[in-house]
Amino acid sequence: MAATSASVFNPALTSNKHPEEPSHVAFISNLRMSTSCLTKFQLKHLSPSSIPSQSPRNPICAAASPTCSPSATTATTFHGLYYVLGDNIDIDQIIPAEHLTLVPSKPDEYRKLGSHALIGLPSTYETRFIETGEVQSKYSIIIGGENFGCGSSREHGPVALGAAGVKAVVVESYARIFFRNSVATGEVYPLESEGRLCDECSTGDVVTVELAENLLINHTTGKEYKLKPIGDAVVYY
Amino acid sequence: MPTSTITASGSTSFIIKKKELGVSTFSSTSFNIIPKKRCSKKVVSVMTPTQSQRPPSTTGSVKTALTMTEKILARASERSALVPGENVWVNVDVLMTHDVCGPGTIGIFKKEFGENAKVWDREKIVIIPDHYIFTSDERANRNVDILRDFCGEQDIKYFYDIKDLGDFRANPDYKGVCHVALAQEGHCRPGEVLLGTDSHTCNAGAFGQFASGIGNTDAGFVMGAGKLLLKVPPTLRFVMDGEMPSYLLAKDLILQIIGEISVAGATYKSMEFVGSTVESLSKLSYIFAYMSTTVFHAKMEERMTLCNMVVEAGGKNGVVPADSNDYISTLRFLSEYRFDVSKLEPLVAKPHSPDNRALARECKDVKIDRVYIGSCTGGKTEDFFAVAKLFQASGKKVKVPTFIVPATQKVWMDIYSIPVPGSGGKTCSQIFEEAGCDTPASPSCGACLGGPRDTYARMNEPQASHIMSMNCLFSVCVSTTNRNFPGRMGHKEGQIYLASPYTAAASALTGFVTDPREFLQ
Repeated sequence: MAATSASVFNPALTSNKHPEEPSHVAFISNLRMSTSCLTKFQLKHLSPSSIPSQSPRNPICAAASPTCSPSATTATTFHGLYYVLGDNIDIDQIIPAEHLTLVPSKPDEYRKLGSHALIGLPSTYETRFIETGEVQSKYSIIIGGENFGCGSSREHGPVALGAAGVKAVVVESYARIFFRNSVATGEVYPLESEGRLCDECSTGDVVTVELAENLLINHTTGKEYKLKPIGDAVVYY
Repeated sequence: MPTSTITASGSTSFIIKKKELGVSTFSSTSFNIIPKKRCSKKVVSVMTPTQSQRPPSTTGSVKTALTMTEKILARASERSALVPGENVWVNVDVLMTHDVCGPGTIGIFKKEFGENAKVWDREKIVIIPDHYIFTSDERANRNVDILRDFCGEQDIKYFYDIKDLGDFRANPDYKGVCHVALAQEGHCRPGEVLLGTDSHTCNAGAFGQFASGIGNTDAGFVMGAGKLLLKVPPTLRFVMDGEMPSYLLAKDLILQIIGEISVAGATYKSMEFVGSTVESLSKLSYIFAYMSTTVFHAKMEERMTLCNMVVEAGGKNGVVPADSNDYISTLRFLSEYRFDVSKLEPLVAKPHSPDNRALARECKDVKIDRVYIGSCTGGKTEDFFAVAKLFQASGKKVKVPTFIVPATQKVWMDIYSIPVPGSGGKTCSQIFEEAGCDTPASPSCGACLGGPRDTYARMNEPQASHIMSMNCLFSVCVSTTNRNFPGRMGHKEGQIYLASPYTAAASALTGFVTDPREFLQ
C-alpha cells in the first residue's frame, strides 16, 4: 500500500553510465565555484528523473501518505508523516554495520539499504520505521534532537534514509559528517529547527515543510515551527 | 627529492620560529618524514615552497601564530594564512579507503568522472581491506574483489590485498586495520592532509597531520580531483600536564576528555593535545629502544589512541603537534582545557555512549560476561603489552571469555615474538595463553562494529548464558574499542563498557568491571 507512492529521491544514484547528465556537470563545476554552488549541487536531484528503468512518477512527490496528492507538492515543499527520534541517534542505529556489505552505488543494493533504515533503533522505539515486509517507509520526514547522525562517517547513513523514502530530516543539531554526507549525496535535506521539535511532535503526525519560508507546519497539532534557513546550514560544514 | 635524514628515535622536528609570531609562519619550515619501514633507510625531507616577499601592507595583520590545524590546511591550500570558518580547497596528500566504503566510492568516482577515468595519483591512494574480511558473507568477499579489480585497472601502488581467508599469514600484502596499517606503512607524515572513508581516520593526527573522515561521495571526488573543499575548524586545546600514573593509559585520558565535553563537544572543531604528559606518552618506547622495528610506532601508539577517539566527541580532527616547546598564543584557540593527569583515575564509558564517563572503581559491581581487546583504538602492540603486563603482575587466569584481536599482521607478529619486560622472556601470546584467553585472532576490525553474523567475538546473544543476578540481564562486554552505542558490537541489547587495556585486563581477571589498580600497585 504505502510503498507504491514512494518516489525515487536521487535519480543520479540509480544511473550508471550517463556522464552527460546534469549531475555530472554540477559535480565537476564545483571545482571552480564558491560555496554557493553547493546549494545548487544539493538541488540537482530536483530535475525530473530520466531513468527509464524506473516507472515514471513525479520525483518530487513526498512519500507515502495515502492522502498525499502529487500536485500538492512542489520543489520547495514536502508533505507527509513524520517519525520522531531523540538525541544522539548514531549511524549504527540508522543502518547497523552488518548491512554495510551493500554498496550504495549499485541500484538494487541501494534499495536494500533503504529497507534496513533505522532497524538499529532500540526497543524503546515501539513504532517500526518500516513496516514488516515493506521496503520503504511511510514516514517521509524525520524529527530528531541533538547530534543527529553521530558516530561513523559512513555515507550509508543518509543513503539508507533517502532510499527508504525520507525527504527531509529536521533536527536540533547535526553531527558533522552526517550533515556533510547529506549535502554531498543529496539524499535528504538536512534542516535545523529552532528548538526541540522532538519534544512536541509525535510519530505519525502529518506535516508540511515549506523550504522557501523556513517553516514546518504540524497539521495534527496545528502548530508551526521556524526552521533555520538551509542556505546558512549548507555553508556550515 | 631533497636530501634524506633519519632521526633515530623516529621523532619529528617541526621547526616554528618563535620570534616570528608576528609574521607568516611559513618563511622556513621543514618536515622530517618518519621512515616508512624499519629496513628502509630512505627518508624524505620536504621543504615547503619559498614564500614570496609579503607586501608590507599585509604584514602586521597576523598577530598570533596559526594553530597546528590551521598551519597544515594553509599549506595544503597554498595560502599564507587563514581563519576558522573559511572554506578552502585543500590538496590531499593521501586518500584511504577500505572494503566497506571503497566499492561505493569507486562507483561514485566512475559515475562522476567517467567509466574510463584515471585516479588523480596512483601513489596517493591507499586501499586497505580490513572491516569484513574473515567471514563467509558473499557480499563482503565480493567487496574485496571489487577493490582488487579497481586497483588492477588503475595500477594503484598501495593495495593491501587478501585472497586466502583461511590463513591471513598466507597473504604477504595483507595488513589489517586501516588506521594502524597507515601508520605502520609510513603513510602518516607530519604536515600532510590525509582523508579516509572512515571516521577514525582522525587517528593519524598523532603524527602532526590533518586527518579526517569523509563519506563516499567526497572520497569519489578526491579520487578524481585530488582535492576537497574543507571548512577550517577552530581549535580546542587540551593541555595535559603531570606525571602519568602507572595505572593510566591514553585511553583513560581521552575518555576523561569526552566525558568532560560530551559527544558533541567538539563538533566541527579540531582537538589539539599538548602538555608535558602528551610529550612523554609512550614510556614503553624506551623498553623497545633496542628493537628498531617497534621504536617508531611504539612512541606514537598512545598518541594514536588519543587522536583516534576525537570523532567520539564530534571532532573534525585531532592533532598532537610534534615535540616542541614553541608557544602559540592562546588567543588563537576557541577554548582551552587543562588536566592534571596525576589526579586522574581509570575510567570507563558506560553504555550506551562514549561520554557516559564513570570511574572504573565505581562500577565494580557490574558483572560482565566477556572482554574484547582489539580495534584501531585498543588493538595495537602497546595495548597488548599493557594487557600482558597486568596479567603477568596478577599471575591469575581470566574468569570470562577474553578475545584478543590484533589490529594488523605486524601487531600479531609482535605479540608472538617480542618478550614482555619482567616476564622472564615470555611473549604476550604466551602470557595470554597462560591466563586462559582465546587464541589471538586474525587481524581485522573484527567485532568492534559487529559486522556479518559470523564475525569472531560478535555479541550475538541478547543475554548472557549465565544469568545469576539482576546485574546481568543482558550481555555485558568490557572493550578497548571506541563506541558503545546500542548494537555497536552486534545485538542491540548488548552492554558495552569502553575501557583502557589495563582496565579491560583487570576486568577479565575478576569477571566484573575492575579498576586496574587492584593488580598494578
